[in-house]
Amino acid sequence: MVRYRNLIEALEAAPGERPFVTFWVNEDEQETVTFAEFRRRARLQAGLLKTHGINAGDRVVAIMPQGIPAMTVFAGAMMLGAAPALIAYPNDKVEPSKYRSGLAGVTANLKAKLVVIDHEFPDDMLSHVSLPDESRLLRAVDGRGPGGDEALSDLKNQALMSPDPTGQADRIAFIQHSAGTTGLQKGVALTHEAVLRQLAHLVGTLMIGGAMIDGTTDRVYSWLPLYHDMGLIACFMLPMVYHIPVVMQSPLDWVMHPETMLQVITEHRCTLAWLPNFAFQFVPRRTRPNRRSQYNLSSVRALINCSEPVRADSMQEFHNAFAASGLKDGVLQSCYAMAENVFAVTQSDIQRSSGPTHIWADGRQFRSSHQVIPVAEGTPGSVPFTSSGGLLSNHEIRIVSESGTLLADGQVGEILVKSDCLFDGYYNRPDLTAKVIVHGWYQTGDLGFTLEGELYVVGRMKDLIIIGGENIYPQDIEEIAASHPAIRDGRVIAMGMYNPDLGTEEIVMVAEVEREESLANALEIEREIRGRVAAGLGVTAGMIFLKPPKWLVKSTAGKAARSTTLEKLQKEHPELNFS
Amino acid sequence: MTAEEKQMIEFILRRIRKPSLIIDENTPLVSSGLVDSMALGDLVLTLEDLTHKHIPPGMAKPKDLDTVAKMFATAARVGKPQK
Repeated sequence: MVRYRNLIEALEAAPGERPFVTFWVNEDEQETVTFAEFRRRARLQAGLLKTHGINAGDRVVAIMPQGIPAMTVFAGAMMLGAAPALIAYPNDKVEPSKYRSGLAGVTANLKAKLVVIDHEFPDDMLSHVSLPDESRLLRAVDGRGPGGDEALSDLKNQALMSPDPTGQADRIAFIQHSAGTTGLQKGVALTHEAVLRQLAHLVGTLMIGGAMIDGTTDRVYSWLPLYHDMGLIACFMLPMVYHIPVVMQSPLDWVMHPETMLQVITEHRCTLAWLPNFAFQFVPRRTRPNRRSQYNLSSVRALINCSEPVRADSMQEFHNAFAASGLKDGVLQSCYAMAENVFAVTQSDIQRSSGPTHIWADGRQFRSSHQVIPVAEGTPGSVPFTSSGGLLSNHEIRIVSESGTLLADGQVGEILVKSDCLFDGYYNRPDLTAKVIVHGWYQTGDLGFTLEGELYVVGRMKDLIIIGGENIYPQDIEEIAASHPAIRDGRVIAMGMYNPDLGTEEIVMVAEVEREESLANALEIEREIRGRVAAGLGVTAGMIFLKPPKWLVKSTAGKAARSTTLEKLQKEHPELNFS
Repeated sequence: MTAEEKQMIEFILRRIRKPSLIIDENTPLVSSGLVDSMALGDLVLTLEDLTHKHIPPGMAKPKDLDTVAKMFATAARVGKPQK
């Protein structure tokens, strides 16, 4: 049941003395703010934004590193009735021109009045920030940086900002930018009521709120970026609205020291966390076996695998590594989530001690007829799948074929979602919205199937390559190509393009070579890659384009961006006939 | 080049599965894209093993690990005795 009219009313209702956010840097450096202190800082940020002309209905873009200042700017904007949007922080590896144009596109689309950067935003990164005429740049203050004390003192002379708890529930609370290259990001506009409904469903499903056996409440652990739905909704909005503490660290610190996740959970007795699938392998492989026993993960009641297709072997590896650290059976769970639905659509049953359902399907049937025929575990040629769980309350899904025909259990098709917390559309982009919301159903672009009331996610529909009716997953081709010594790891994109001469799709692959000099041997390398793909998958890589290092376009999440890379390829090779 | 730096280079070449590459202690690794962010955790662990020091989180950024020489300089600057 939704108890509040908007998110700020929920923040205001939190007990002031209760710890809210702990930002963990290392053993000796961490900061905890209570709900009262968080509210105070958010009001100060609201005051600062107000003095720069921000009012209800305005949009504010924040480019700030993970931490309490970014969170208080976000909440401060909402206190004014403005809609904040957190954007990924630039880093050394993102091309400045690409970041600049992407940011300019985002701020122009949002008609953002202000772009807020942190007080330590590096000067040499300012060249990344390009603003349209209607936007202004503001350095945030947090009272600790140079000039911060004076700025906050000035603000104290104004009335502390009063929150706007009576604001309309159907007002846009914030705008979330889904993954993808910055320039192509679509702003998912979410209302207060949509977010509150999602959180109510999530809390009910995960049974959050009751006192634990030892009398404590839940405590969330997160290294997830705040511009991602897992980080923003599950690890910021959920704790804020339901008044539970969250212990957070920077994504960069985590990726450099993945073992610290275990340290933080042990120190703070965290009970809930959400992780993408890769983390279930990444952490155990970077934690020395002789150190595992010093951690105590017995407080954890759900580690939820989310945001990528869930793999049973990844979760098994994590469980095997940390069972001796007190990790209980059934703690590793799964869900299917997306920003367009605020967050979760499904969640596995956290009370089931065996965790999410695993099944094995006949591989030939799966590839040739998109049909899942369960077979015994370990059957040669079988394909394993892990369930993402059952639907949250007030959620519906349909699995449909390419022609829109409703598919039965076990048949693979596109996942459509309808719920009471679905987004209204991409901000200021009715054209994009109309393409994905049809008759109230959101067309996710994800492929999956249902079986006995549970959803299994297979992959992204638009990435799937279909050659002569055979489904080929581009990741399989890319992995084979990247194993060639001349090719850079992770720098291959495989796509399917319709070839009218063949009447079916043809594989087109773009790959970066490790060293530019290798391009002199391009023909030989292409030949070897083709041989490996054919040997591995039984298909021919029709067109291979070898490119120098840094040619592929990467998203802000560091992944190779397919659609933008395709556009670049088409510009360089106009002779190609893409349909 | 020290023996530890040589060991680090050997580790990096194994990690990126490019044994035929030639890199030295001043070859840019992170900024050149040769080493991706997912490999940073492995570099830190190996650096801690080779220097017998603990690199506290938050004390080293990717740019501090951009070359093998910078890695060892960073360990000398921010490393703490291992517990």
